[in-house]
Amino acid sequence: MTEATFPQCRIVTERLLNPETTEKLLNKVVSVAGVRRMVINGPRLPETVPYGPAKGQANPHPMRKTIHVGDQEVALNVHVGTVLLEVESPDVIPALKAAIEPVFTDFTFRIQEGKYMKTSPSLVDYCKYGPDADKSMLGLADPNSKSRPIILQGIK
Amino acid sequence: MAYKPQYCAGQTVVAANRRKAMDPTHKLTKLRDVTDKDIVLIMGHRAPGSAYKSAHPPLSEQQEPACPVRKMVTPTDGAKAGDRVRYIQFADSMYNAPCQPYLRSYLEAYRFRGIDPGTLSGRQIIECRERDLEKYAKDLVNTELFDPALCGIRGATVHGHSLRLDENGMMFDMLQRCVLDKKAGVVKYVKNQIGEPLDAEVKVGKPMDNKWLKANTTIYHSLVGTAYRDDAEAIEYIQRIHSLRTKYGFMPKE
Repeated sequence: MTEATFPQCRIVTERLLNPETTEKLLNKVVSVAGVRRMVINGPRLPETVPYGPAKGQANPHPMRKTIHVGDQEVALNVHVGTVLLEVESPDVIPALKAAIEPVFTDFTFRIQEGKYMKTSPSLVDYCKYGPDADKSMLGLADPNSKSRPIILQGIK
Repeated sequence: MAYKPQYCAGQTVVAANRRKAMDPTHKLTKLRDVTDKDIVLIMGHRAPGSAYKSAHPPLSEQQEPACPVRKMVTPTDGAKAGDRVRYIQFADSMYNAPCQPYLRSYLEAYRFRGIDPGTLSGRQIIECRERDLEKYAKDLVNTELFDPALCGIRGATVHGHSLRLDENGMMFDMLQRCVLDKKAGVVKYVKNQIGEPLDAEVKVGKPMDNKWLKANTTIYHSLVGTAYRDDAEAIEYIQRIHSLRTKYGFMPKE
């Protein structure tokens, strides 16, 4: 049996996105049928200062907010710069582009096609998940991460 | 013929700006008025108004050995008083920031005395006696060498130089030491350079507009500013250095 491989793409914006714009963008992405998996990428915004003389102090940051996407609350831990997507077929990508275009009025964005998420387990995944790893989880997060993915109800 | 320093090669506006910054005879334009107290608050080394802590007794109270070099070099105010050594560190965005780490070290060496600059790819630290530092830091923040949105005063957690700007045009800062007050259009420091919250906000002025930044930047950037490849003289210079260094490795006999 041949294994199904799904096309991947990423949305790269000219500027790092505010939480409000991220919310708008992700809601547009969710409204498109055929998006399988999504990763929000960007530089991390930790809750406490991780190192330096102020280590351990609270780190209030206006870009770290909880946003509402589809029917779920999503806590942002990064300053969003790139959104990685795995879609069901190549036809979804033009539809995705058309859907998100209205979000970017002040600056530009690009959709690039390529391979951005793991599709087969690496050695670290094998150590963490064993031989029967859930393929839908691979490449979504660092295997050491304790956070779980957020499952959004699609429109399909 | 008397020696005339040339500072740096290049025919573009970027090279001209670098030469201006390095030339100690060029007076830097003052663009904002951040007070001594504000600078002390942002740096966070001492409480404003408190006495300077010292590392050794003042030179006048010390018995110094008979040394011709000590007679030749006048100590700076900080060295005279025996101040401890403190620092200020800047991170500069590659999106047309008016100053850059390498340039900072050059210009400080030309303009200031008694300093120890440390240069890294995206940040530059300068260490010197505390009261000298406050004087120099004021020059670095109040003049054309600083832009509130694209230059950050960051003691630790400096990442941001090579990242895209955010929607407000500010350089990324994981600790968000400065924020843009959209209503007033002014950038305010809400934390000191190591990320400890300040009791009162410190205003450092309005971010400069894109036209000014493009005309006053000291970094080459092919997308948002002047491309390095457009500067034939700078390329010729760097290629000559590269070639000479490579040949020297083989010990050429000329």
